[in-house]
Parts: sequence; structure tokens; C-alpha cells
Amino acid sequence: MEEKQQTKPNPRDVGPRKALGSLHQRIKEARVLMVGAGGIGCELLKNLVLTGFGEIHIVDLDTIDLSNLNRQFLFGMQHIKKSKAMVAKETAGKFNPNVKLHAHHANIKDAEFNIKWYKGFNLVFNALDNLDARRHVNKMCLAADVPLVESGTTGFNGQVQVIKKGVTECYDCTPKPVPKSFPVCTIRSTPSQPIHCIVWAKSYLFTEIFGTSEDDSPEFDHTKDAENAQEIEALRRESQELKKIREQIGTDSFARSIFEKVFTRDIQRLCGMEDMWKRRKAPTALDYDTVETAAKGIPGHTANMDQKIWSLEENFVVFVDSLQRLSKRVQELHAEDGDKSILSFDKDDVDTLDFVAAAANLRSHVFGIELKSKFDIKQMAGNIIPAIATTNAITAGVCVLQAFKVLRQDLSSAQMVFLSRSSERVFSTEKLSAPNLSCDVCGVARATVEVDLSRATLDDLIEGYLKKGLGYGDEISILTDQLLYDPDFDDNVGNEFTSMGVEEGTFITVMDDNEEEGENGEILQPRVNLVLAVVNKEIEEDQDPIVPPEEGMVIPRKVKQVEAAPAPQEAHGAAAGAGMKRMHEDMADSNCGAKKRKLDDATAELSIKDGRRGKGKMEVVEVDDSGVIEID
Amino acid sequence: MVVPTATAPLPAGPLTVPEMDAITADEVAIYDRQIRLWGMEAQARMRNSKILLIGMRAIANEIAKNLALAGIGSLTVLDPEVVTEDDLASQFFIQEEHIGMNRAEAAAPSIRKLNPRVTIHTDTDSPSSKPPTFFSQFDITIATELDLDALISINTSCRQCSRPFYSAASYGLYGYIFADLISHTFVIERDKSNIETRLAPETQTRKVISCRTKKEGDKVVEFVTKEEKYSSLADTVNCPIDPTWRPRKRRTVPAALPCIKALWEFIRTSPTHNYPTFSRTDLATFTRLATEAVANLDLPADMLKASFISTFVEGCTSELVPVAAILGGVLAQDVINVLGKREQPLQNFLVFDGEVNAGPVLSLHPEGIAKEENGNGNRAKNGEIETSTAEVVSLD
Ligand SMILES: [Zn+2]
Repeated sequence: MEEKQQTKPNPRDVGPRKALGSLHQRIKEARVLMVGAGGIGCELLKNLVLTGFGEIHIVDLDTIDLSNLNRQFLFGMQHIKKSKAMVAKETAGKFNPNVKLHAHHANIKDAEFNIKWYKGFNLVFNALDNLDARRHVNKMCLAADVPLVESGTTGFNGQVQVIKKGVTECYDCTPKPVPKSFPVCTIRSTPSQPIHCIVWAKSYLFTEIFGTSEDDSPEFDHTKDAENAQEIEALRRESQELKKIREQIGTDSFARSIFEKVFTRDIQRLCGMEDMWKRRKAPTALDYDTVETAAKGIPGHTANMDQKIWSLEENFVVFVDSLQRLSKRVQELHAEDGDKSILSFDKDDVDTLDFVAAAANLRSHVFGIELKSKFDIKQMAGNIIPAIATTNAITAGVCVLQAFKVLRQDLSSAQMVFLSRSSERVFSTEKLSAPNLSCDVCGVARATVEVDLSRATLDDLIEGYLKKGLGYGDEISILTDQLLYDPDFDDNVGNEFTSMGVEEGTFITVMDDNEEEGENGEILQPRVNLVLAVVNKEIEEDQDPIVPPEEGMVIPRKVKQVEAAPAPQEAHGAAAGAGMKRMHEDMADSNCGAKKRKLDDATAELSIKDGRRGKGKMEVVEVDDSGVIEID
Repeated sequence: MVVPTATAPLPAGPLTVPEMDAITADEVAIYDRQIRLWGMEAQARMRNSKILLIGMRAIANEIAKNLALAGIGSLTVLDPEVVTEDDLASQFFIQEEHIGMNRAEAAAPSIRKLNPRVTIHTDTDSPSSKPPTFFSQFDITIATELDLDALISINTSCRQCSRPFYSAASYGLYGYIFADLISHTFVIERDKSNIETRLAPETQTRKVISCRTKKEGDKVVEFVTKEEKYSSLADTVNCPIDPTWRPRKRRTVPAALPCIKALWEFIRTSPTHNYPTFSRTDLATFTRLATEAVANLDLPADMLKASFISTFVEGCTSELVPVAAILGGVLAQDVINVLGKREQPLQNFLVFDGEVNAGPVLSLHPEGIAKEENGNGNRAKNGEIETSTAEVVSLD
């Protein structure tokens, strides 16, 4: 295998071979997938290409934006609006001509990227910026049994985690934060913070006037609706009235009608609810004519001053001006498609941002809440996460060092790594935790099932594959993204898979609810959930349309829950062996996982400047044990 | 420096930088995601800064990239050497066609392309030919991949003109960053806690010099101004580990630290001033120097394993890009923070071990720095537990 015919080694190999020994040959032969060519992706691709990874596939759906250029160094001004995957390949390809690069300008969730395709890689790197895609790749890597190096950054914070089926925790073994939501009444009746008014402007007012419908936004929390039935009913009437005003779009009085509805009459109604204001400061309704008179002479380009906190009158001017701009756009769209078009809020669409900023500030003024600059409102409304080149560069470096351990098949020395902001160290590390047995994603059995989709029915799966093949009883449920079967719902039994939307690559989950008696009379727990990945295969007519499970395949049983265990989360943390406590981050849409580090006292808070604290303070946990506190 | 003096009023939201230096709308659009992290004032300070980067190899590639992207004012790249085949393996600013060109000049066009707003200068002189006054033009000097004598000479020149100095190098999977900021004042912005911030020393080198609060909605934010005092590389190089460290903590120091010191000494004393080869004599000499370094640092003698020494020596001439990315990233971020006068800076010696992903920051100073500067150097030495270094679990 040694390159005996070569008299002189490639100069690119000399350094890495000295420092890495035999690992270097594995790196050169490795075929890896990188999902995401953004902040971490650009840095990671540079590292992979120069380290000499043999073949690298890049998948990214995004195109290049101006605000990427402060950190995504493979892209320049001339690349704006082009495919990230394609340009990254083109730029990084020049760093090392010996590496094979393939770019896919596509969504990683596309059907072409199936389990078989994943199985072709030695290693997958996640360099993503959203939870949904991360979860998808995590699931695919578990299904294909390919190791995954997962990474994320937020501002100065970064983390890297190695994931391997059956050996380590998966991405979903620890719960991830859900996007923050607010009770309807807080947003609609009793706001007390700038964010409440921003959500109101974006998810209520804007959508009522230009979008589809009220409060189906995930930002609204309806769990308390029943307690406040009366107020909710009044709010429903308010929305109905606003819908009527929407029909006046394009008329001269449109801005006045909206303004007087939401900043005068609705506020007056709220003020009338005396109980509501016993312990809160009551709002003050605005008068259109008064504000308009005071605003005379303020230029329309006020909206460009995005750092400045606008006065009441400046907000008024921007409100009226942006409403006109948006109305004109809607009318033009409607002229083409007969009143069908709607607009949706986009932080980079300046008309929508101006409207939301001005409306949010007018509402803040009404309720005596601090006003915010457009720059800050953009971040809060658009869930913008600060991002810098250095954090991404450091994190991407760590990804490759962890990949070395995976390629050496030395997972016991692979780590969970956090960028630390302590004055005493730049990294904190943990051993990788064992899989969480109750994880919905990896605490399941996985198998591939070969099905002749041209004729197989649900019954073939239940009676043949599950009952006859694996010994399942009657108490089972079968689902994809919809319920296909349970003991009380057998309508689909005779139907072909294709009629239920099952196709190549679909995951079918089988849940076992049978508690049965074992051979010696002991009670057997139900089996863990079984996730079957469907592979289409043409099968001879005289044979069953589903290939039976392999001889000897057994689905493991669930572990009996110990009821006395008071804090499963803690117990799990302790089981990880690092003696750590875990907390969940209270940050919507964070790039990072659910944990953050305890910071040094000197830098104990995320020092985002004035008003740029995003969704509030990061929660942090101490997990390091490198001998800092000594108790003799 | 263009940056206001250490005692200037704290940044308080609105811009205090003169109007003509203010950030333009175009710059806000490009730097949006970072301004949201460190604020407009730090960005403006950075834009007016001049940085000198010496030695254009893997770490310097990373530093140049990070500083250019962040939007510093100007970067001067100094390197007297020419590009060789070896450079291609770990550098992304150059390609085959640059072989034989001067390293600084070969890299400059690619750095310019990263951010046309940053002025890139090149200098092909030897750093040792530069008089001390040369360094006074720059706000910060960063010297990479140089030998100890050259580093000490540049550091001394920088001290003469009161300019901060950094040095860094990578040796296979290992590396270091050293910082001598002489005296540096910075601001920590944090939510006010129940415990009053006292104007007092926090460590042997750091003290709180002022504290201001500001109400932000429901909470009170605190702007704490702190000062760090530094030692020169010449004074640091023979220092032992902090004498208050207990044996268990001493064991957490990577074996790479004595090996780096041994390497410096090897190159300094070898007749050709070269790196050690993997020969038996070189290994023996290196082992002796590393053992001496362990003793000088006052580290446990058994921490140095023969297998580690040979791994270190075998890889010490290679530059691994992921290691350079980490060291170059940490160093550039520290420079950015120092320019912006925000965040705790590196104090003062980071050792990186890429095998176990450890990056402890050791505070190496000659004895007496605490006494001289803070007047109560006994505090840290007498205390059973040095509370200022203890990390506390935050549960709020
Ligand atoms: Zn899991």
C-alpha cells in the first residue's frame, strides 16, 4: 500500500505525516460530508482541504448574503446571491488540488440524500445554524451508523460534540430549548417589555394587515387562554375590526384608520378594564391629530437612522411612511393575482422592518415601555444571533481534532468541547456521555426494511414482518408522520403503503404496548420503539412483498422505569460520570446545544452591548473538574 | 494609539468616537453580526488600529484572515523569507505560482481581497534589522514562529515604546500564545450581582479600578473597569508556576509547556540554531533540556514521559491547519478585545495541547509583581484557597 513507486513524497504530506503518523493515511483516504457552508462551514472546509481529507461533499441550500462577509471568508462581494456550496467548493478547491470536492446546492432533507448515501461516508460534519436540520442529520447518521461531529457557535461561545450510534449521546439525548413564546394576553393586553411590543407588531399587527391570519404564530402561548376567556373574546372582536379596516388598503385614510384603531380605541377599551391596571401602570391612548401636528417637518428618511432611538413623532412618521410603502406593494401584487398575495415579515425586507420597528415603538410609548433603535429591533424581531469569524475558526479547528479521534477509532478519547470564557483556560472538555436510554431518537431500535412498494400493504408489515418475523403481539401502534395503525384504528390494514404516503426513505415507527409473560413467568417490558427505514425493492410475485427480518434479529425491551427516581435529569448527568449538573438554555434558536459553560467571574455575563442581549442572559453551568477548587 | 487613554470615561451607549471616525452605514451592514456582539464603539476603535504581523506561516494566515475580516485599520505583514513548497501545505493565501516569491508579498493580494476596507502593507526586511522606534508605529505587534532571542528583542523594543506584544507558534499538535500588554485597562459589562464589586485586587496581576452602573429596564448593568499588569517575555521565560498552586493543579499543566521551553533552548544553543532532528543525540539533548525546564517550572518530575518527548520532537516542525486555526483564532480574538478595550485579555501564557484539547492559560510572572503593583501580594500567598480563581456554579 505504501507509495513505493514515488521517489519523493508530496510536500503537502510531509508535515502532517510527521505530526500525525499513520493517521495521516486514513485522512487521505477519508470520504467525508460537510452539511452547511456558512460560518463554521467555511472555516471547516479550509481545515479539511488543507489537512488533506481525500473527498469532501458539501451540502448547503443557502445563497450568500452581505452580512455573511464578516466571517465567511470563502465568499466575496462578487459572490452575493450565489450558492454557498458552489462558491465554497470553488474557493477552497484552490487550497489543495489533491482533494476531491463535490458541492450540492440543495436541502439536506431532500430524498436524494438517503441512508444509502450517508453510508458512503466515513464521517459527517454538521456545520448548521438551525435545530431542524441538525436533528435530521443526527437521525440520518444514527440510521446509517456513520459518526457525526456536531458543532455550533453563538457569539464568543462554541461547542463541538462527537456522536456515534450506540456509543455516545446523540444530538437529541438532551432536550433542546424550544423557541420562546408569550401568553396571548401579555402580547395583546398587558405588555411590559420591548419584546412584547415587537412580537405584537410583527406577529399580530403586521400579519393582520398584510399576512394571513391572527395568532397562529408559534410565538403565542395559548395555554392560559381559558383562564382569561373574557379578555380573549374581546381580543377576538378587536381582530375582527382590524380585518375590516384592512379592506381600506390604498385609501388616503388607511394610516389614520389603523392608527386610531390600535393606538386609540383599543387602548381606551383596555384602560376601561380597571382590574387590569390595579397593579400595573395603565396605558395612555394616542391622538392621531396631535401626533401628526407635532411631527410636521420630520423627513421621511428618518427610517435610515437605525442606530438612533426615534422620538414618538419620528416613529409616527416612519409608521405612516412604511405603511404607504407596504400598501403600494400589496396593491401592485393584487393587481396581478386578484387579491391573493400576502406579505410576510422579513428582517432583511426594509419596508417590513420599518413598519414593525415604528409600530412596536408606538406601542411601547403607549404602555410606558423603553423604546428601542431599529438596529436592536431587527435583532429581536429577526432572532439574529451574533456571529464572529474567530469563534467559528476555533470551533472548526476543534471539529477536525475530534475527527482525528474518530478516524483513529479511538472514541474513548473523543470529547465534548466547549469554548470557555474563563481567564484560566480557553477550552473546557467533558468525556462523551453514554446514550440516554429514554431518548426518542437514539433510544430506539433501527432497521432497514426492504419492501416491494408496488404491492405491499400495511397488513404484510403487521402480520408478516412484525408478528411472524419479530414476535410482536397485538398491542402495537404504527406511525410515520401520521398514525397508520393502532388496535383501535385498523382502517388502513388492507391498504398499500403508497396510498399512505410511504415511499423510499420513509421512517416507520413501531411502538409496542404489550407487557407479556416470559418463558419463566417473568413480566417482559414492551419492546423499545422500532424505527424502520423503507427501501424499495422489486420482489418476485411468489414471495412476500416484504423481506422478512434477518434470522436472530431481536428488538430489545424497554428498561423498567424506577418510579422513586426524583430527578431523572440529574441521574442522567451523574451517569455521564462527569459529576456535572445540567441546565437548559433559555435561548430561542441558539446555535449551541442545551448547555453553556460557567464563566470566569471576570466575564460572568455574556457581554453583549446595550440592548443586544438577545433573548436574555445565557444560562451557564460549571462542568470542568480540572482541579480549580481544591478542598483538602 | 488612537484609542482613548486608559482613564477615559467608559463607553456608555452613544458613540464617543469623533464624528469623522464614526462607522458608516455600509460598514454596519457588513459588520452587523459582530457589532451586535461587541458594539459600535469597539468596532470604531478597531477600524482606526494599525497592527504588525511578523512571520507569514500557518498561524499568521489565520491571524491575518481574522483581523482583516473583523475590520482593523491596517495590517503590515513582515516576512523576509520566500515561499517554498512546504508553505503550500498549511497556507491558504498562496498557491503553486507563488513559490520563490517573498512570503509577505505573496500573501498580501489574497488578504486584501478578504476585506478591501483594510489597508495591507508588506515589509520584506528581517525583523531583527528593525530599530525599536519601528514598532512605535503600530498599536500591537504580533510575532509568530520566531526563535526566543528574536522574540525577546522585539518584545524589548515594544516595551521601550509602550506597545503591546504577542507571540505564538505551533509545533505539530501543540503550540503556545504569549501576551505582554505591559499594562492594560478594560471594561467588563455584566448584570449587577447582590455582592458589591469592590475596588480591589482580584489576582496578583488584576485589580478593579472603577465601577459604574446603568439601569436597563428591570435590571442594573455594571461596567467594571479592570487593569492587568504584565511581565516581559525575558522575565517570564525562567519563571516557575505560581507557587500557591497545589500539587494536583500542577499536574494539569500540559507536558507541552516544558517541551516548548526546551525547544526554544535547543534552537538557541544548537550551533546551527535549528530544530532538533529525530536523531539519538538530538533526542538526548532535548530530553535533558526538557527535564531542566520541568525543574525550573517547579513541576512534578514524573510528568514528562519519554514517549511524549519523542512525539513532540517528531512533529515539532509541522504546522497542522486545525491547530493553527485554534491558536490564530484565540490570538486574533484577544487582539480584537484589547483594541476594543473589552473582555478579560489573555494573562499571559497559553499552552495548547491538541491531543487532549487542553488550553490552560498560565499566569507566569517573576516573584514580587503582586507586591510591587498591588501592595498586598500576601493575600494570594497566605490564603488556604485562593477564591479569586475558584469557579462557582451559577444557578440563576
Ligand atoms: Zn439520543
